[in-house]
Amino acid sequence: MQQRIIEFTNLLRKSGIRVSVAEGIDAFMALDVLSIEDRVVFRDALRASMVKRGDEIATFDELFDLYWSGFYDNLRDSFGNLGDQMGDMGLDLDSLLAQMAEMMEGMDGNVDLGELAKALLTQDLAALENMIREAAEQAGTDRIENMLQVGFFSRRTNEQLDLDGAGGELEALAEKLAGMGMGSDEIEGIRQMIKKLLENMRRSVKNFVERELQTRNHDYMEKFRKEMLQEKSFYHLTEEEITRMREVVNRLAQRIKNVLSVRKKRIKRGKLDLHQTLRRNMARGGIPFEVIYKHRRKDRPKLVILCDVSSSVANVSRFMLQFMYGLQEAFTKIRSYVFVSDLGEVTSVFKDADVNTAIEQALDGGDVINVYTRSNFGKAFHDFWKDHLSSIDNRTTVIVLGDARNNYNDPMAWCLRDVHNKAKNVVWLNPESPSAWGFGDSVMDRYAPYCDRVEECRNLRQLSKIVDDVML
Amino acid sequence: MFDSVQSVINDLGNLGYICDKRIATVVFLAQELDKPILIEGPAGVGKTELAKVVARSLGRELIRLQCYEGLDEAKALYEWEYSKQLLYTQILKDKVSETIAGAGSLTEAADRVGAEDSVFFSSRFIVPRPLMQAITAEKPTMLLIDEVDKSDPEFEAFLLEILSDFQVTIPEIGTIEATSQPLVFLTSNDAREMSDALKRRCLHLWIDYPTEELEIKILDSRVPNIAKQLAEEVVAMMQKIRALDLKKTPSISETLDWARALMALNADSIEEEVVNDTLNVILKYEGDVAKAQSELSKLIQKKAPAPEPSNPVASKPDPKASKKGILH
Repeated sequence: MQQRIIEFTNLLRKSGIRVSVAEGIDAFMALDVLSIEDRVVFRDALRASMVKRGDEIATFDELFDLYWSGFYDNLRDSFGNLGDQMGDMGLDLDSLLAQMAEMMEGMDGNVDLGELAKALLTQDLAALENMIREAAEQAGTDRIENMLQVGFFSRRTNEQLDLDGAGGELEALAEKLAGMGMGSDEIEGIRQMIKKLLENMRRSVKNFVERELQTRNHDYMEKFRKEMLQEKSFYHLTEEEITRMREVVNRLAQRIKNVLSVRKKRIKRGKLDLHQTLRRNMARGGIPFEVIYKHRRKDRPKLVILCDVSSSVANVSRFMLQFMYGLQEAFTKIRSYVFVSDLGEVTSVFKDADVNTAIEQALDGGDVINVYTRSNFGKAFHDFWKDHLSSIDNRTTVIVLGDARNNYNDPMAWCLRDVHNKAKNVVWLNPESPSAWGFGDSVMDRYAPYCDRVEECRNLRQLSKIVDDVML
Repeated sequence: MFDSVQSVINDLGNLGYICDKRIATVVFLAQELDKPILIEGPAGVGKTELAKVVARSLGRELIRLQCYEGLDEAKALYEWEYSKQLLYTQILKDKVSETIAGAGSLTEAADRVGAEDSVFFSSRFIVPRPLMQAITAEKPTMLLIDEVDKSDPEFEAFLLEILSDFQVTIPEIGTIEATSQPLVFLTSNDAREMSDALKRRCLHLWIDYPTEELEIKILDSRVPNIAKQLAEEVVAMMQKIRALDLKKTPSISETLDWARALMALNADSIEEEVVNDTLNVILKYEGDVAKAQSELSKLIQKKAPAPEPSNPVASKPDPKASKKGILH
């Protein structure tokens, strides 16, 4: 049992659930005080001591079922209907076995059957289970990694079991029985039965190996895909990946928020606050028992986001917006604008709807702009300069998101220059790789002088790094 | 003391808290292993209530520490009572003069005062806060640290020390050991993830929205005299509302409120009009109410009962309705 629990713990770890040694010990202690007969209680005890995160519970439950739900039940299923199978062929299993037993009695010392053959003949499932487990272990089944290996490991397990040998023994037994004058019909029946037994055994072994694969590699693909998503370029996302990405973005934002709260605390203590100290200590005759410090406040930046929502960069804008609004608390104010050729403010959309719907609306132009035109950065910047320049002050970080592919229109870089002069920071995120900047209709080189930073931003990892570096 | 998992279920059930085996197992384990429980789950599923009921059932005093941003040691553990110290100094001024009377030098006077300074730094001037109360209480207590996710990460680190050693060090006095080990429950709404160190020291209990069956039982025990039919309908409806994509998913406390509201309105079954009027009992956001209302007719139709076969809606095969049929 101990061994099994330790092995189960390792499985959990392999599937990405962090179980510390102390937690493993807790699990053992928990099982000490509980009876483990009740499966539900057993599961809950393991879960309470080893799984500490709400979102890991589902994984745990699945693994638990895979690992602990008896392989035994499975064996019983495949061997249990042997009688029926034989019945279909017009044979009566029980009488056949009885007859066999009777005849074997007469043979006394002459029956030479191995463990496996005996267990098969008597259908001793517990013994069979043990044998399969042992053989599988010796065959190294725990190293199984993918579906293609199921056949290989099943074969090796069968070899370890010496299933063929057992088959031979049983065959020999049938011969012997025939030699002792058993009716040919019965012998045929026994042969059929032996065939079925071996078949069932093979199937059970394969089944065992498959379960092993499932337990070992549970969540493996899942984890792999999530990691891929962080690296994957925004340009090539399928619908499904976009939904999954949302979750990843949220988690990233959450993580940054956690770090942020620690960071804020660290800079909390500043100079002595005389006014507050006097006020607080009035009750003690003005003697400063309790000293109050001024909190040094780190500026929470104001954000102005300009998002190109033309189809070529829509995805980047989507996650950028989601990320920023996920971090809303970190900023005093976020104003967001979308543009293709005209520029429109969509801040209010985010006030009314929840973030995801708002983003979809914003990407559709938010009822304020036409998204089905050709990109014109110059016009958009001029619009911004004309109508919204006043929204920028020296605490504002301006983020521009776009590929700077201007369709050979006038870039009007001077608008951006004026913005740059007023703002604290101008950050340009470009989903194209730097080698493409300034080639073709890209006017990135014209805008770059007026940006404090120009960064390539084509996947989630880059996005989160930039946000962390630049804005917080 | 609970003797077994079953006895937890029974004892809590007697006090009106219906719980499933999962909750009972963890509570039982916490008692047996002397480990804190970290209870997580959506708001309003009865996390705090569980602690209260367990305390009552074990006959322990419940000491509650409500966490909030900026909660610090002084408010959670102990604080020196400055004003009282000051007052005492003033009153005892004469005595102090007496003590130092005849001292030859300033050093000597200071030494004499110094010899007495334990008077001013004694437990007499300490205001014990919840954590200290819990570990210095004579009888074993039950400590509830509520909404621990609202506290700051530093406070969490500080909690670790208390939770693992159950002792408090006051620099001026020394270490105070727990006279009895309290049973500790921490609750969290998952506003922020707790540190691994804290999680490692605790058993973990995730309380989710209850199953239909369990919720009916809870409703039965919490809202006396509720008609069985109404209870079933309310719960079925709630389960469906929870499946909607809402900003704030209603939980058990809302179910109870709603059932009480419906009873006050003398409604004995759920009809669209009544539901429309009382929807704001269960949904706390304008947007959610609007969303639920637009889905409402669908929801109510779905639960359109079979007793009226003439109803054209009921005659349609409806997967959800038939599923509900199986459950009952």
